[in-house]
Amino acid sequence: MHQLLPLGTTVQSASGHPCTVETFLGGGGQGEVYRANLVDRVLALKWYFPEQATPAQRNNLEVLIRKGPPSAPFLWPLELAAADDFPGFGYLMPLREPHYKGLVDLMKRRTEPTFRALATAGMQLAQAFLDLHTQGLCYRDISFGNVFFDPETGAIQVCDNDNVAIDRAVDSGVLGTPRFIAPEVVRGEAAPSTQTDLFSLSVLLFYLLHIHHPLEGRREAEIKCFDLPAMNRLYGDEPLFIFDPHDEGNRPVPGLHDNALAYWPLYPQSLRDLFTRAFTAGLHDPEERVRESEWRAALGQLRDTIRHCEHCGAENFHDVGRPADEPFACWHCDQGLAPPLRLRLGREQVVLNRDTELFPHHLDRLRRYDFGAPLASVQPHPQHPQIWGLNNRSATTWVITTAEGTTRDVEPGRSLTLAAGVKIRFGNLEGEIHR
Amino acid sequence: MAIRPGGELATRPLHFIWIADCSGSMSTDGKIQALNNAIREALPLMRSVADDNPNAEVLVRALRFSGGAEWHVKPTPIGEFKWTDLRAHGQTDLGYALNMVAEELRIPPMSERALPPVLVLISDGQPSDDYIGGLEALMHEPWGKKAVRIAIAIGEDADTDVLQQFIGHPDLKPLQANNPEALVRHIKWVSTAVLKSASSPASQAAGVPLLTHMPLPALPPASDPTLVDDVW
Ligand SMILES: Nc1ncnc2c1ncn2[C@@H]1O[C@H](COP(=O)(O)OP(=O)(O)O)[C@@H](O)[C@H]1O
Ligand SMILES: [Mg+2]
Repeated sequence: MHQLLPLGTTVQSASGHPCTVETFLGGGGQGEVYRANLVDRVLALKWYFPEQATPAQRNNLEVLIRKGPPSAPFLWPLELAAADDFPGFGYLMPLREPHYKGLVDLMKRRTEPTFRALATAGMQLAQAFLDLHTQGLCYRDISFGNVFFDPETGAIQVCDNDNVAIDRAVDSGVLGTPRFIAPEVVRGEAAPSTQTDLFSLSVLLFYLLHIHHPLEGRREAEIKCFDLPAMNRLYGDEPLFIFDPHDEGNRPVPGLHDNALAYWPLYPQSLRDLFTRAFTAGLHDPEERVRESEWRAALGQLRDTIRHCEHCGAENFHDVGRPADEPFACWHCDQGLAPPLRLRLGREQVVLNRDTELFPHHLDRLRRYDFGAPLASVQPHPQHPQIWGLNNRSATTWVITTAEGTTRDVEPGRSLTLAAGVKIRFGNLEGEIHR
Repeated sequence: MAIRPGGELATRPLHFIWIADCSGSMSTDGKIQALNNAIREALPLMRSVADDNPNAEVLVRALRFSGGAEWHVKPTPIGEFKWTDLRAHGQTDLGYALNMVAEELRIPPMSERALPPVLVLISDGQPSDDYIGGLEALMHEPWGKKAVRIAIAIGEDADTDVLQQFIGHPDLKPLQANNPEALVRHIKWVSTAVLKSASSPASQAAGVPLLTHMPLPALPPASDPTLVDDVW
């Protein structure tokens, strides 16, 4: 299958260490990737096709290696590699962990993660591209093939970082992957940049949550031969969001675009509004695009609105904007659901499920987006399993005020009983349980 | 509990059609064996390309032509596609073959919505019948016109003018396979790179030539140029 390096070949890393090619992992448009052993470390080695092993590519890699990864999820080039007997060059990077799945697996339903894992993956993706863009870098090819996620936890890894470059500085000629390319790039009016990355990220997030493309509705259905001119029209010249509130001309067609119809109504209005902005105003004006920090916030909140159906267990989203007296039924079993118990923290709310954990992100204003060790978790009472409490897993004592007005301390390791009306002071911030 | 609604990402069918010359001349110098072998070699690669492609439902079939023509393999999802050996004897009725392909590209049996079909013509000689009529019938069908048409010439005796007419694009030449190694390489290229670009062109550099409405990736260079002698 591979043709560039025979297995067992030894190449030299730039730091002068021998690196042995062990197995072939996969081929791409630019080269081949092998599992390789550098002294006692197992890494991935990418070797370029001769016509891709250009001085420009080498220079770009050198810049990236010098800069280092923007954050942990990037499988970033570590060092260059060369060999006496083989033309061209390659580079070493960390190996993707085997339990990570590709987005193609998600699209083909070869993996069935929870909504929570998907929302987490979306939030992590937004965070990763925020970190990359903060460094003044742009990715230029955000698409299915380059992003991987852990279906259990939603942790992500980003591959194929060798085309990353200083924003607007170098023209690598990479335009991106069809369906993900921003309309102005499809039309040939702009080169890939941070602003066009934002469009591709929105498409990726829409795919993640809907298993469908945001521009494929009636206009896609009317195309007979889906060739390049057709794609240029759909994604470049005449793009129209399938749920554009002011133009119904491209609604999903039942029978052809069922996923879009099934998923869209499940999500809270605030998230749908964000997608709407990304694919209406943001379609035509790059300055209107939804920024990574906005996606990060929205997907973090999406995690917190998940509530399990008490009848069938399916995950539903509690839309905080929906009137409390409006009846709500589980999308899966169609049984009515009462509003869930929630913890109100400032302007935000966290649904309290039987498996809810609260992180520094929730309880410490100075540690937003820290989802490291949980500070609290919902747990049953050891002697009375029908009574549920919030267990203090932090190192500080909480103070609660009950609905009756009495105050109590909740030391680390202790729990408070979940009941509407209880106020909890967690260090620098106060929450209130309500229904 | 991991329950989410809906199904797989919506796909379109991508019809991939091998059109194989099984005339008597293909039985000399092990050509037909080399072709059988090359397609078998390429199948796992083709499967993995299809596996990585969420947008296409790849359906493969094969037509053999000699005296007349017949479907060697009916449209089969790539995951279930198995190759049975072709045998060579008789004439080179290319026109007959193209007429049969044209019939299959009519709507129906073709669906109205699809990805551009990929037609791969493999031949080592001169047509023995009215191939112009067959080509006209093919190009009369909208799906025939829209198809990505690739041709592989086996050996020096193949009529590259005919193959060029089939391709119908001056910039895209027939692929010349003068030995089994080159044949494997070409067959692998059409079953991977061409298959990929016909459904969802990969991340591409600007300025890739637009052929038959889809950008075709560069053919990989021969890994060992000394093998490109005529060794049939
Ligand atoms: N760090 C890695 N660990 C494991 N597999 C990898 C790694 N990087 C790339 N691959 C795999 O190698 C193949 C080609 O990689 P890719 O970066 O997409 O190549 P290209 O940029 O040439 O298209 C893909 O199947 C990809 O999943
Ligand atoms: Mg790449």
